[in-house]
Amino acid sequence: MATRLKEVDVVIVGLGWTGGILAKELSEAGMHVVALERGGMRATNPDFAIPLIRDELKYAVRNALMQNPARDTLTFRHSQSERSLPMRQLGSFLPGEGLGGAGVHWNGVTWRWTGIDHALRSHYEQRYGKAFIPADMPVQDWPITYKELEPYYDKFEHTAGVSGKAGNLRGTVQAGGNVFEAPRDRDYPLPPLEPSYSQMLFADASAQAGYHPFPRPSANASRAYTNPDGSRLGACVYCGHCERFGCEANAKGSPHITVIPKAMAQPTFELRTHAWVTKVLLDSTRRKAIGVAYTNVLTGEEYEQPAGLVALCAYAINNVHLMLLSGIGAPYDATTQKGVVGRNYCYQPGGGGVTLFFEDKIFNPFMATGAFGVALDDFHASDQFDRTAMGAIGGATITVGQSNGRPIGYRPVPAGTPRWGAEWKKATAKWYLRSMNIGVTASNMPNRYNAYDLDPTYKNVFGQPLLRLTYNFLENDKKVVGFVGQKAAEIARSLKATSMNGPGTLGEYSIVPYQSTHNTGGAIMGTSPRDSAVNRYMQSWDVPNVFVVGASAFPHNSAYNPTGPVGALAYWAADAIKTKFRQRPGLLT
Amino acid sequence: MSRLVVRGWWLVAAVVVVAFSSSTLVRAADPDKGKAIFEQCAACHSLGDPGDYDGPSLKGVIGRKAGSLEDYRYSAAMKRSDVTWDAGTLDTYVTDPQAFIPGNRMAFAGISDKTQREDLIAYLATAAR
Repeated sequence: MATRLKEVDVVIVGLGWTGGILAKELSEAGMHVVALERGGMRATNPDFAIPLIRDELKYAVRNALMQNPARDTLTFRHSQSERSLPMRQLGSFLPGEGLGGAGVHWNGVTWRWTGIDHALRSHYEQRYGKAFIPADMPVQDWPITYKELEPYYDKFEHTAGVSGKAGNLRGTVQAGGNVFEAPRDRDYPLPPLEPSYSQMLFADASAQAGYHPFPRPSANASRAYTNPDGSRLGACVYCGHCERFGCEANAKGSPHITVIPKAMAQPTFELRTHAWVTKVLLDSTRRKAIGVAYTNVLTGEEYEQPAGLVALCAYAINNVHLMLLSGIGAPYDATTQKGVVGRNYCYQPGGGGVTLFFEDKIFNPFMATGAFGVALDDFHASDQFDRTAMGAIGGATITVGQSNGRPIGYRPVPAGTPRWGAEWKKATAKWYLRSMNIGVTASNMPNRYNAYDLDPTYKNVFGQPLLRLTYNFLENDKKVVGFVGQKAAEIARSLKATSMNGPGTLGEYSIVPYQSTHNTGGAIMGTSPRDSAVNRYMQSWDVPNVFVVGASAFPHNSAYNPTGPVGALAYWAADAIKTKFRQRPGLLT
Repeated sequence: MSRLVVRGWWLVAAVVVVAFSSSTLVRAADPDKGKAIFEQCAACHSLGDPGDYDGPSLKGVIGRKAGSLEDYRYSAAMKRSDVTWDAGTLDTYVTDPQAFIPGNRMAFAGISDKTQREDLIAYLATAAR
């Protein structure tokens, strides 16, 4: 029998970046907020203190900070004709668990998406004609323009301490920044990080080829920084332990050192850890949420937390799962293309990059940060890039980063090297210092069959059906990766390396090797309940006192990392709740 | 482990000699410049109340025994280091924290520039009293 608790104004499910932002903004506005986090409490000291945090086996291989798939996971299949099977180990992507969520173990790449991304269908129809978008590709515009979201992007950049260089200040193009970015009101809060040698080589070579290299915006603080809320970030020490780790130096913009402590200082805020939400509870009309059901995973005790507003701020995948388990919105059916919850799942194809090996150059890959890099947007954000030659929608960024040179995971060797044994050992020792990678990361357009629903067979530890993912890379993705991969290879050849691996081509999607934790869609935003699960304020069309915040709202995936708009949309939704919903609860227009 | 510690102590002796000779004969350390360098430390260290900082307060650090604040949870390495902070030990520590006290938890790679270290320590001597 569940214990029924006292009603609060807001219950937040999941306390990472989006939950932390809502927790701070709403509790500071005087609302009584309870946050339920399925994982434990975490703090830089002692959890991420050196030397213990620099344990590659524990954190990078055994994923100490992530979701445990033995408790809850999803099932996967490539197409409707395949049988879905549970993902029993994390691989392709790494959902976080514990205070701060994936905001603790991310790399820190923080883009603003462009005007093209915000108005995708309109852009392609105007420029290339309606027939250019295939019938089975349900792309749609965001219900929010870039201009509307600009102040919220700015707010997130300043909260997270992003290092970068503006490329377009109020319409004036800035040399050295990303000249293809949409106009911004002011520069990043911190100057770019120091580039690596490989990044300098790439910047020179790509500029000589006529492209527009710029420092990739990074929530790795290039200097010590105090954000507008008074949270302190240290300067990045280039230790190469960002993704999969918590930052020892508080240099990575993370919710556990910024928004969450600010919420926790409010008397109207309460955090409960190890609180696993199993369902959003609806009233008999199914049009109103009355709270959530959760289990304390340490004791097994069950609770009901009544609330006037429920904010789903879990990882993008889990937001969709909770909606389907709770009956919020009509589930999407790929066969009939009816329903909305589960549609437009997108990921992020890579694999078109090249790795270069130089007998005569030393790159010191261990001097690394998760996000620093030199990037080209000439084949992605640029609308001068004519997609007819590529024959596909979207584009890809070309980047030289250097996220780490860790001893287990970082072992670049030339193609043809044996996979094990003495020859492999010799090659890995020789090339560890002498190689660099040029990465190609592509956007991902939705397809009618790439979607989530509930699995008919497999269940989690709470006896609930697992989420089922049906997904594969498609022709459009292969064309983008192939086309931009060739451009990356042309730049690479001008560097005259001793040898080069790649460019690769895109095959079938595999859920086994790590690619990126950039899972988007499933509870997408839009202008009509016919083709979206939430409105422009991240509010459920069907149950208006439920807000669903995060990358689950993206109607497609950009070639950019998702966290910039994830943070911006969280501030945007918090504003709508504070200034609109609070006064007049109901569907916002 | 013990070999590393011994090597660290050799370094102390060497650096103390260098630090003293250079600061007295060549230039006076500049606490104003040290204030700017301290920004690298300020994310984790207060010069006053402990507050919600990740590192221990540096109030009164000069003359203090390392690892001795009662309200701060130090690493075992720091607690058993048997170091007392003065201009010499601070200089050695800030040069390469892991070389001097292996296994300590301060997340800082060190400052290789001797002048910057002297300015920083001069600032601490005035501001962290």
